[in-house]
Amino acid sequence: MTQVVWQLHLHQPWRLGRFRYLDLGSGRSYFDHPRNLEIFRRVADRSYRPALDRLLNLFDEFDEFRLSLSVTGTFLEQAREAAPDVVERLQALVGTGRVGLVAETYYHSLAFLMPPPELREEVELHRELLRQTFHQDPRTLRMTELAYSDQLARFAEARGFRAMLAEGWPGILHGNSPTYRYCAVSAPTLTVLMRHFPLSDDIAFRFSARDWSEYPLTSEKFARWLAATPGDFIGLFMDFETFGEHQPAESGILEFLTHLPGAVRSYPQLAWATVDEAAQGPPRDTVASPEIVTWADERRDLGAWLGNDLQRSALEAAQKVGRLVRLTEETELWTDWRRLLTSDHFYYMYVGGNPADRRVHQHFSNYPNPFDAYANYMNALTDLRRRALAASGHPA
Amino acid sequence: MTKSRAPARRRRAASSGAARRRSGGPTVRRPTPVGPSGRRTTSSGSRRKPEPSRAADATARRTRSPGTARSRRRPQAKPKRTAPASSRLTRAEQSFLEAMARATSRKATPETPSPLRAVSEGPLHIVMVGWEFPPDHSGGLGVHSYEIVRELAQLGHKVTFLLPEARPHWEVSGVDFRAPGDAQDRAKTPDTEPLRAYVSPETGTITNLSEVADFYNTWIADLGELGPVDVVHVHDWFGTIGGAALARREHAALVVTIHSTEYDRSLDHPWTDILRREEHGIAQADRVIAVSRHLREQLIRRYGAPPDRVRVVYNAVRPAEGPASPDHRPPTVIYIGRLAAMKGIDTFLKAAARVAPSFPEVQFVVGGEGPELPHLLHLAASLGIADRVMFLGRVSEAERTYLLSHASVFVLPSVVEPFGIAALEAMAAGTPTIVSKTSGVAEISANLFRVDFWDVEEFANRIAELLLYPALSKTLGSQGREDAVREGWRERALETVQVYREAIRDRRST
Repeated sequence: MTQVVWQLHLHQPWRLGRFRYLDLGSGRSYFDHPRNLEIFRRVADRSYRPALDRLLNLFDEFDEFRLSLSVTGTFLEQAREAAPDVVERLQALVGTGRVGLVAETYYHSLAFLMPPPELREEVELHRELLRQTFHQDPRTLRMTELAYSDQLARFAEARGFRAMLAEGWPGILHGNSPTYRYCAVSAPTLTVLMRHFPLSDDIAFRFSARDWSEYPLTSEKFARWLAATPGDFIGLFMDFETFGEHQPAESGILEFLTHLPGAVRSYPQLAWATVDEAAQGPPRDTVASPEIVTWADERRDLGAWLGNDLQRSALEAAQKVGRLVRLTEETELWTDWRRLLTSDHFYYMYVGGNPADRRVHQHFSNYPNPFDAYANYMNALTDLRRRALAASGHPA
Repeated sequence: MTKSRAPARRRRAASSGAARRRSGGPTVRRPTPVGPSGRRTTSSGSRRKPEPSRAADATARRTRSPGTARSRRRPQAKPKRTAPASSRLTRAEQSFLEAMARATSRKATPETPSPLRAVSEGPLHIVMVGWEFPPDHSGGLGVHSYEIVRELAQLGHKVTFLLPEARPHWEVSGVDFRAPGDAQDRAKTPDTEPLRAYVSPETGTITNLSEVADFYNTWIADLGELGPVDVVHVHDWFGTIGGAALARREHAALVVTIHSTEYDRSLDHPWTDILRREEHGIAQADRVIAVSRHLREQLIRRYGAPPDRVRVVYNAVRPAEGPASPDHRPPTVIYIGRLAAMKGIDTFLKAAARVAPSFPEVQFVVGGEGPELPHLLHLAASLGIADRVMFLGRVSEAERTYLLSHASVFVLPSVVEPFGIAALEAMAAGTPTIVSKTSGVAEISANLFRVDFWDVEEFANRIAELLLYPALSKTLGSQGREDAVREGWRERALETVQVYREAIRDRRST
């Protein structure tokens, strides 16, 4: 029996408005609140509502159907303001008892690159948010952008998680299959569940690619591929927005979603499972990853967020400002700083040589180029630094 | 700051009567040594491996017998020379009128079967009708025509380069330079006057561009036997009448490259005479080349150029040699170029005034000369930054190269900028660059900051951000450099040859 673990990730960042050098000290908000809510409403119309409604129907129709969700704190903040019904739909989904929740950093942030205790605090913030919103205590952790390393595995184990998600990247699997359970070499009690990236990306990236040899992808064809894949489980981890936003409704992606459980049912060797259920068997082997592996770009490292001087200098500046913010007790400063740690801001600053990666980065960016993204970010951070200095009694 | 500044500038430009102020033409000085030492860089040769099309050209050059092309041509009747007149101006005027008549009336030319060679491949004879020439150039026209000519010669094409003024020490391998009053002229008509007679002895500048252009056009139209000509290539308006006449006489294709329009140079108050010449060139041309897409659209919209005849060939630069490391550049923010109204240097100074107090160590530099200088000096003083802005006046090529490769930021705030070759030069030198959104250079690179030409605040922001964040300055500089040197003059020359072949094909088929 091979379990099908479908894990959908819901996230929206607090995007910055144009914050110019001449705006330093103006008291203006860094974040374009109306625009963020406008984007959320648009994505809710195109993706969240139609896909969640279909999923709710699937839970009614298929008793065996299982799903796992990761929902960031910034997503829920925006959802409550822009589209509360989306939160209600998510609660209804989790209320079926057949949905597993996955913990992560509240701000979908690069907190794991910040000095402690930032990571611990953000994960706890997120855990608490999930408890309050969905009345469920997650046992599985996924780090921002599926980041995974031996050190992060140790962190997860120390925080009481049973499982952690990771990219099934050949660089850490060394010839092993991503479809088996592993335990972290640095954290023996932690089960590592790998993403099957070829099958996941068949849906997330290639579904509407007309030049793909397998186009069009039908749920029957995909279920056949699943059935032909041996292992303990198949990790299909992808953005929720795949359904209706990244892949538009006109591509037939919502119909694919609707028909997938039915197609899977015709293969008795397949069974749906949540992440927690999939983590319940014995591991086949250990997995080691001294360096951080992520699910982004061709190299699957941190290059998408820290690959160039802009990104590295921005992170370094954020770390320094963080030390100052931590000296204050002003919630507003902490919130602004943590919103600035959201990985998306660094993702927009990508200046890479790989044209395919560059296209993907640009697709998700709300800036015309990475330099605008960096300048804007640094202006906001410089302003925050001044505020933090003022709040902690230092001259600006 | 406000959009209302642009009309104010237009009014000022419109009230100016000085021809040199409104033109894109040269500010001709007394003889300046011109030669290899005065070129913009000393690098030579190609940076890239031969492209297929270039290789094809080379192959054709090797396999074609030197006499083949000529043998297919009909012998040309030697053009009738105008009788010498007692007054130089009278002779020039007479010749000009005759050239005008030939150029504008197709019936005036005897109908002859096209003697054009089969030029789908193989070397061409190109007569380039120039105006400015490095190092005495004041804009992209001079650089563009010089670099294209140089590359065309290296590609094996025969190039005759016409210029309005003879200079000593001209030397580009494979290029035959001609100018009024040069040795070849004097050998035939000893009384031929060189153009420098039109230069004001007091100011060293040309005082009546139309007269100069007429003289030049007359000389072009009356040029003696040049051998079989395939293409006459004219730049902007200066030589359009003579060039068109020459093309008709030689049954050659006419190609006109527009570097900027009179509408742009005059901020929408065109001088009718120049406009007429531009329109004439564009109407007569078999192909028009624009140096940017933005300019191409303008030529179609405002000049009625048929879209299928207008091609875009961008400017290029030679890679700067040894640009300074970003860590070793003095904190300078520079503008280099003509000090003309269309360049929007007011905006630069106002932005400088906005950020100067926060950056006391930064020097603002304005390099170049032009009619706006008195106004700009006054503006800097009234903004309270007279001690923070250095007006360099005329900069030599060597100084220009040094400044562009050692500045912290280069700013090109032009109200109108069909291309903006100085920005490309700055980028090639790894200097982070800010241009107005109207600049054509932004079409070939995203690795620069683009700002509305009127937005003083945004220029100030961008300058401050580049001064404040070294990682930004460094990355924008290095990425911009990659874009700027990705394609060079060789690629531009090959694109130009492609346009020539299209023009020849069309001319032959009509």
